Amino acid sequence: MTQSARALLFIAAALLMLAACEGPTDNTQLIVSLEDCTGCGECTEVCPYGAIEVIDGDAVIDPSACHFCYRCVEACPEGAIH
Amino acid sequence: MKYLIIVSMLLLPASGLASTTLDGWLDMQTGGDSLAISPGRMDIGGMLGGDGWTLLLRERFSRRDSTGITPRVLGTHSITDVDFIIAAGPVTINPEVSWVVDLGDKPEIVLPLAAGEAYRQGYIRPGLSLSGDLNENIHLFASGLYWNRDLKQEDDYDLDWAESRISGGAAWDTPWGPTIAVSGVSHRTESDFIDYEASWSRIDFTAAAGRNDMPLGLQAQAEVTYSLYGGNDFLDREIADRFTARIRLARMVIPNFSVNTIFESVFDFDDGTVRTACNSGEARIMYRFLQSRDVPSQITLSGQLAVSSIRTSKLQLSSRVNLYRGLSLLLGAMLRETPTDVQKAGPDRQRLVFGPGLEYQLGTNARIWGMIEQERTNLEEVEVWWRLRAGLELYPGTLTF
Repeated sequence: MTQSARALLFIAAALLMLAACEGPTDNTQLIVSLEDCTGCGECTEVCPYGAIEVIDGDAVIDPSACHFCYRCVEACPEGAIH
Repeated sequence: MKYLIIVSMLLLPASGLASTTLDGWLDMQTGGDSLAISPGRMDIGGMLGGDGWTLLLRERFSRRDSTGITPRVLGTHSITDVDFIIAAGPVTINPEVSWVVDLGDKPEIVLPLAAGEAYRQGYIRPGLSLSGDLNENIHLFASGLYWNRDLKQEDDYDLDWAESRISGGAAWDTPWGPTIAVSGVSHRTESDFIDYEASWSRIDFTAAAGRNDMPLGLQAQAEVTYSLYGGNDFLDREIADRFTARIRLARMVIPNFSVNTIFESVFDFDDGTVRTACNSGEARIMYRFLQSRDVPSQITLSGQLAVSSIRTSKLQLSSRVNLYRGLSLLLGAMLRETPTDVQKAGPDRQRLVFGPGLEYQLGTNARIWGMIEQERTNLEEVEVWWRLRAGLELYPGTLTF
């Protein structure tokens, strides 16, 4: 097996392990992936608690105001909130 | 009035200064689908630059479908950003103002303390950032933002809602390679009208390192952050401290073919209990071809999976294949799974969006594109709708005067 194939196999195995992983029952904060966030502001538009603000081009979630309604997760066109 | 101020701010500095450059842009998107017309958004801006200073003015107007689901939320707002950057030796000073006006239907906001609902009408947010280099290895930064929000109840009472955010920190590029950073942020919210006051703070301790000389041509970047939180969440529980570990691996497998992966694990330290908060992974494979043409062609396949108290996943294919000169064929497809808030649907929602399009690029100065997409999503039942999107981007280039 070539080294390139091994690298790809490693990535595929890591993604499969993640897919099989059981999530915790509670999460204290949502996460914004700064790699994926484009600062488009869709999340601020749908948040009913005014808990998200775009600062310096990235969405920032206020941990004291977020109610975990997940509307921002559903609305984000980049899938940057989880 | 707002637009008069913008034009004046662009013209006044330019009229009195020599060797000034002006870069401008216009980005318009519009569309509609079988459910409703969405007039889209417009982003127009200009950047004046001189010796040691930059003045950025940007106006965004948006009226769009915010959720892509039924029933829909249509947001209409105007955002004006004024950003002034002054570089004086190793110090950069950046005063800024962001001015948002919600037009049309005012979005509802659920107030804390069971104070009912209010209607968002916009805000003015002045801010000031400072950054500087103590020496070539130590960087300092600080910023402050203040939101004066226009939130009104149905009877038109102003909630007198204000927020402030102060942040700052230092980063040290160590002689051994890794970068070590300490930063902090403090956020305070208050409304005199409903007698509400809340604040939270965070201190981050970060270590980051990267290597480009690994076997197999692999580039690796690793980052760990411990975040120490102060303050309470909406249930009045203490916000848990958080440890985040992140690894990014990138590799050019063969020329024009690259793989980029990111893995992240997050742990919460909650009242003596340590638990996994989230595991996530992302991979992106990119293939570039027909590089000698006017517009290079590219196919990108990306996948993303995050498992926390919710599970989100995304598989996306996007491609641009150059046909002739600036004309290219676009093709996009995306499969997503997220939680949903749509009544009687869920708890999860899968959606598939796919469709072709055409694009024409005129050098680096203009781009016009259009796409026809179909979206299939399982709400109460599987719903299908068509969407047409189009855009125009103009970058006239730099003017010097």
